[in-house]
Amino acid sequence: MRVLLVAWTALTLLSVGDVARLAAQGRYTISGSVKNGQTGEALIGANIVVRELKNVGASTNAYGFYSLTIPEGSYTILFQYLGFKTRIDTINLHEDRVLTVELTAEPIRQQEVVVSGERSNANVTSTEMSANKLEVREVKAIPVLLGEKDILKTIQLLPGIQSAGEGGTGFYARGGGIDQNLIVLDEAPVYNSSHLMGFLSVFNSDAIKDVKVMTGAIPAEYGGRLSSVLDIRTDDGNSKEFGGTGGVGLIDSRLTLEGPIVKDRGSFIISGRRTYADLFLRLSRDTTINRASLYFYDLNAKANYTLGDRDRIFLSGYFGRDNFDYPNTFGFNWGNATATLRWNHIVGDHLFSNTSLIFSNYEYTNIVGATTSEFRITSGIEDLNFKTDLEYFVSSDNTVKFGLNVIYHTFLPGQVTAGPTSFANNITIEHRFALENAAYFSQELNVLPGLKINYGLRFSAFSLLGPGHLYTYDQYGNAVDTATYGSGRFFKTFTGIEPRVAVNMSLDETSSIKASYTRSSQYLHLLSNSTTTNPSDLWVPSSNNVKPEFADQVDLGYFRNFDDNGYEGSVEIYYKSMQNLIDYKNGADLQLNPTVESLLRYGKGWSYGMEFLLRKKYGTFTGWIGYTLSRSLEQIPDINNGQPFPARQDRTHDISIVFIYNASETWTYSAVWVYNTGNAVTFPSGVYPIDGGRLVPLYTERNGYRMPAYHRLDLSATWTLGPRSNLNFSLYNAYDRFNAYAINFRVDPNNPNRTQAVQTTFFPIIPSVTYNFTF
Amino acid sequence: MKKAWLNNRILLHQCAVLLIVLMTGIIVSSCEKVVSIDLNKANPHIVIEGIVTDQPNPDSVFLSKSGNYFEPLYFPPVQNSLVIISDNLGNIDTLKETLPGKYHSSVIQGVPGRTYALKVFAEGNEYDAVSSMPRKVLIDSLYTTPLRAFDGDKGYNIYVVFRDPPEPGNYYRINLHLNRPLPPDSITGERYHLYDDKLSNGNEVTVRLRAGRSIVAGDTLTVELLSIDQAAYDYFRTVNDILTSDRAPTALAPTNPNTNLSNGSLGYFAAYTIDSKKIILP
Repeated sequence: MRVLLVAWTALTLLSVGDVARLAAQGRYTISGSVKNGQTGEALIGANIVVRELKNVGASTNAYGFYSLTIPEGSYTILFQYLGFKTRIDTINLHEDRVLTVELTAEPIRQQEVVVSGERSNANVTSTEMSANKLEVREVKAIPVLLGEKDILKTIQLLPGIQSAGEGGTGFYARGGGIDQNLIVLDEAPVYNSSHLMGFLSVFNSDAIKDVKVMTGAIPAEYGGRLSSVLDIRTDDGNSKEFGGTGGVGLIDSRLTLEGPIVKDRGSFIISGRRTYADLFLRLSRDTTINRASLYFYDLNAKANYTLGDRDRIFLSGYFGRDNFDYPNTFGFNWGNATATLRWNHIVGDHLFSNTSLIFSNYEYTNIVGATTSEFRITSGIEDLNFKTDLEYFVSSDNTVKFGLNVIYHTFLPGQVTAGPTSFANNITIEHRFALENAAYFSQELNVLPGLKINYGLRFSAFSLLGPGHLYTYDQYGNAVDTATYGSGRFFKTFTGIEPRVAVNMSLDETSSIKASYTRSSQYLHLLSNSTTTNPSDLWVPSSNNVKPEFADQVDLGYFRNFDDNGYEGSVEIYYKSMQNLIDYKNGADLQLNPTVESLLRYGKGWSYGMEFLLRKKYGTFTGWIGYTLSRSLEQIPDINNGQPFPARQDRTHDISIVFIYNASETWTYSAVWVYNTGNAVTFPSGVYPIDGGRLVPLYTERNGYRMPAYHRLDLSATWTLGPRSNLNFSLYNAYDRFNAYAINFRVDPNNPNRTQAVQTTFFPIIPSVTYNFTF
Repeated sequence: MKKAWLNNRILLHQCAVLLIVLMTGIIVSSCEKVVSIDLNKANPHIVIEGIVTDQPNPDSVFLSKSGNYFEPLYFPPVQNSLVIISDNLGNIDTLKETLPGKYHSSVIQGVPGRTYALKVFAEGNEYDAVSSMPRKVLIDSLYTTPLRAFDGDKGYNIYVVFRDPPEPGNYYRINLHLNRPLPPDSITGERYHLYDDKLSNGNEVTVRLRAGRSIVAGDTLTVELLSIDQAAYDYFRTVNDILTSDRAPTALAPTNPNTNLSNGSLGYFAAYTIDSKKIILP
């Protein structure tokens, strides 16, 4: 109710001024969508520029819709989208117009011919900062481990985003934790984004249309995580003709089919991939090994249909699973399932709405023992999510967004299911239920010529729902009191008020200064024995014992484009402060523990730094140079004697250079070089013998040491065999650098009276080849 | 089963790498090399190890100091300390220092169900700990099957069968001893075998241990089942975590083991029962 009231008040306040202005000046609206002319795919973030009016423009939203209200008159309208030929329309505007345009892809080699004023400078003029969009074309050209294109690995090459482990998909955003990244696939939160213990992500790049990552100035429509938003949108499918793409790689094969349901009105896409591992295992003569399974697969499916001029329905789903089973001993399987039903509705030329119903599930199962004596341990999380977002294009210099989000979470912290002859008992750790609500409002205004402000407020509320028990713990972590709540009862509620502000002060056509402030809250926490996403990770809700985490971030940046917007440059400085970060009591045992909340410690963290980015998006040479100079610190009572210590991800220097060269119609080359300061790590400062001479390391300071610096060069060449196929060759770690994956301290295996430090290198030089085709 | 969680994670990691190897035919050999690292030198910390068992031999307390991580490994004994063990029935024993830093009992006897208190006065500081000797659980039987592990290790699976008492909160440690000298690590792939009844309270339990590598037919294995209290279990569990987990970027920052000793001492004090059985490997 409160939420509605806020939205309503906001709208009313706005409308008074704008409606008056509208009436007075005879303004008209152009609205519609921008599409890829070849496939009919809606283009996200295409720019619509009015040449005659300075600082007037619009861009398409996540569904390709735009709306632009300008005074009556004759105009030249430019529709710009990277990789497509800019379309220029001349219109006489004396009534509201619907203008849906299709852009044609522009061959890379033709992009060299610069037509002045046709390239977008939206990165300079928007209020967006600390945000990067990755082009799928770039993702496909950049070399990666084993030739598997992976967006989660590619975003790690952007400033402010750091890899959490070599070859892995986990990442840290500006010193934030791995669970502080909101990863949404077609609006559905993905709780575990990794396959194969984190070596590959669950996102199949064949099915992805648009990737946007934000580490600062996070708009009010996003919330629930402290440090970043990774918004992934999948392809809608070709609405003009049937087709497909596929690939054969070293690890897996991929196949995508797409086509119209009804030409130009609806389309579908189905994309799947699977690993081959188990096929090799079957060749084994060992009767245990040849029955073992070891694979993952995933499937993306989506269909959309346009009903009339104003409505469009999307149904999309993701289903993926990792399976590992060693007969009669143990097995694991885990996976995500998401389903999204969306309804785009154009209420009027000025008001666009999207309403989504989202289901999201993550489940992990561990199987121990042989068939009838086995037992299974299952944990997971499931969401039912309702979301409605409205965009009100009041005028060309005034856009309002508001919306609501209600998520019903079910947490399954652990359940043991025993077979008939198993020695284990059936055990269920109490499920938790919670309601996470949010309402937001934001407005983007041109307050003065050259001064744009985007301000907003997100109101979040999180409630634990019955049935359930609340424990109160003493200082030793013993439960001293238990309160019981009945079904449907609200038994603990937290609220958060999250202001978001971003300002753009334009200096000239090609440069601007931007500043922002973001506050965010997080009510779900990942408990893990490790720092990358592991299948056995446990998501827990905030409760009387687990406080919500929150963060404040300020950001200041200078943005400048060069060479007719051919190069984009930026320098940003940020400071982020995080409260109620979670750490663990020494030796905390998190699995199947009904009192897991008693094992946690809370502290604060802060990070600050400077990020440089120079990016070239057009032409035969593309790529970027990113450099981050930063610090990330934490302070937690009882750890490191209560003194601040560097966070593991505290990396002073982080450099990424990405270089893509479209040499000819046949060959594309690319190279990536990365360098970063080693992670902060804890090494022993002493040793002592126990229990008959076992040598136990003695630890004193937390993260008081450094891993060696990490650097690596990857190379790739793509050979276009014809219009419908290509071969990609890549070389990971081309100069075969022995990077330290881990440094272990142990007793010398050859001399029990000596100790030694041993460095493990996981990935030496690794070549790979992938065959890709379209039909 | 806590061990299973940990091992499984390591195993799964190995599997992921194995998969990559299988897929590519490339040897993604994880290369290891000894590196030189300049470590800080912590001030020597006192280490106390106190054990009370239900066996007839004297109970013992060892006092020493920690040393620097790298050579020379030297752990000075803490001598001339006052070491007292008492039980909840009022028995008190002041231990005698028989060798430098090694103190032995003469009066006190370990009896299941009793609670023991350790007091150490050393170098002007007092250290205390308490441990309860649990009810004695006996090994019902032992048997073996051939081991063919995923990582290629071959040898024996050793199954230890015992009945967990009906009340929850029983903790066990299992030791394997071979009838011929071998470095401790060569018996199994892990250093401590620990078990708790969290999943199997009151049931007949079969614990599988790996005896791989250099174990051959004809060897005699002695299996000891120790019934330990929760504090001792936590101590051994956390020592195990330190010794067996690799310090990969995926691991949590290591911390010192959870101890029941006061005043910042390292080590533990544990009262436990021991039941042992022998098996000749077929």
